[in-house]
Amino acid sequence: MITRFITEVKTKFNPFSMRSRATRLFLSYLPPNARNQGMQITTKLLPRTSTEPNSLVVKFKDGKTMDLNGEVLGIKGIIEEVDRHSRALQKQADLSDG
Amino acid sequence: MPPRLNCSAGSSIGRAVQRTTSSSTTTITTRVPVLVAQNLNKLVSSQYATVTRQIGGLRLPDDYVPPTQPPTARRPELRKAQMLRTYTALLRSTPLMLFFQHNNLTAVEWSAVRRELRAALAAVPAPTAGPDGTAPVDIASSIDLVVLRTRIFNVAYKIVDFFDPKAQVDKSNAYTHDLSKTAYETIRSADIDESSTYGQISPLLIGPVAAVTFPVVSPAHLAAVLKVLAPSAPAFAPPTRKKNPGYYDPVAQSGFQKLILIGGRVENKAFDYDGLKWVGGIEGGLDGLRAQLVSLLQNAGLGLTTALEGHSKGLWLALEGRRTQLEEEANGGKKEEGEAAAAAAAETS
Repeated sequence: MITRFITEVKTKFNPFSMRSRATRLFLSYLPPNARNQGMQITTKLLPRTSTEPNSLVVKFKDGKTMDLNGEVLGIKGIIEEVDRHSRALQKQADLSDG
Repeated sequence: MPPRLNCSAGSSIGRAVQRTTSSSTTTITTRVPVLVAQNLNKLVSSQYATVTRQIGGLRLPDDYVPPTQPPTARRPELRKAQMLRTYTALLRSTPLMLFFQHNNLTAVEWSAVRRELRAALAAVPAPTAGPDGTAPVDIASSIDLVVLRTRIFNVAYKIVDFFDPKAQVDKSNAYTHDLSKTAYETIRSADIDESSTYGQISPLLIGPVAAVTFPVVSPAHLAAVLKVLAPSAPAFAPPTRKKNPGYYDPVAQSGFQKLILIGGRVENKAFDYDGLKWVGGIEGGLDGLRAQLVSLLQNAGLGLTTALEGHSKGLWLALEGRRTQLEEEANGGKKEEGEAAAAAAAETS
């Protein structure tokens, strides 16, 4: 997963629910030096009995905000969406650098 | 790959089989696995056609290693079977476990986290002598932060929850150990739902999971671990910079940020973060909790009787007060008469 163009990740999930699986797995895909390179990662844990839906908000370097639904997309869908935008940004960066 | 030992395979098999036949004078009724003999025959006949010895029906020793097998570089405790037994033993012997999601911590960060954890646990005051006068065991050294292999841990948890070895003793052809086919069949046919602890905890065991295991439910140690790994003001505030500057080391801080406390298991019941904070906030340990329960029961009884008797007591008090008032008046009256009489007597005399 391309993570160079992500500036902020905000997640909210209930760990006791199977529906928050994709959101949790997305957190494990972030590289170990993400925070050192300026990515803000915040996690909020919902209590066990709460029915609030889990949310994942990703912000990119060009200002775009993506609100992803882990239940519908699954982890593969989330990575696909994030990568699609990151690849577009990478193309722009390559064109502007080269 | 060159052979490990410079000898022919066939002769070493023959030697090994000879050793077993010569030493098998004691009558141990072991079922000779027929497959071993068959495979041996196939091996002998297909690959080592030079061997002329009759090997069918005999058994190789259990620790026989073929000379062409390279020495293993994998640690024995990481073999799946051994790991399963380790996890079932862990689940049966630790009443308190905290589960953390660890997101790509580097080795340096792991060592920094473990260092801070050890320092915090060393600072927990040891409890005073136990009820029978013996000095209590210091558990701070046996509290570990282990990274779990969730696939095998899931199976181990199912075995601990659903497989009862005592129920297998009466059945025929049933084994009681955790690695047996009986255990496998039992957990495969068990229905897993929300009523069992495994059903409640299995959503937690997704992705990379690490666990902190406590050999005893000790709220003091749990509070220390929560302060370091999952701090939350005001009850579990992280250590201050003056007292513990190592905690604010950037490597340690980045390590702590990557650890998320997702839940816990206390005495085979699932708890979430708020529940674990409650357990950590119990003062005086389990004995203190028992004392609180006893005093609560006593006070409840007292409060009930007070409420029931309140009315009649109030009435009695009011009447008593009135009676003493009347007595005082009567006494006062008598005293006045007495004083008047004494005064009159004093005047006349």
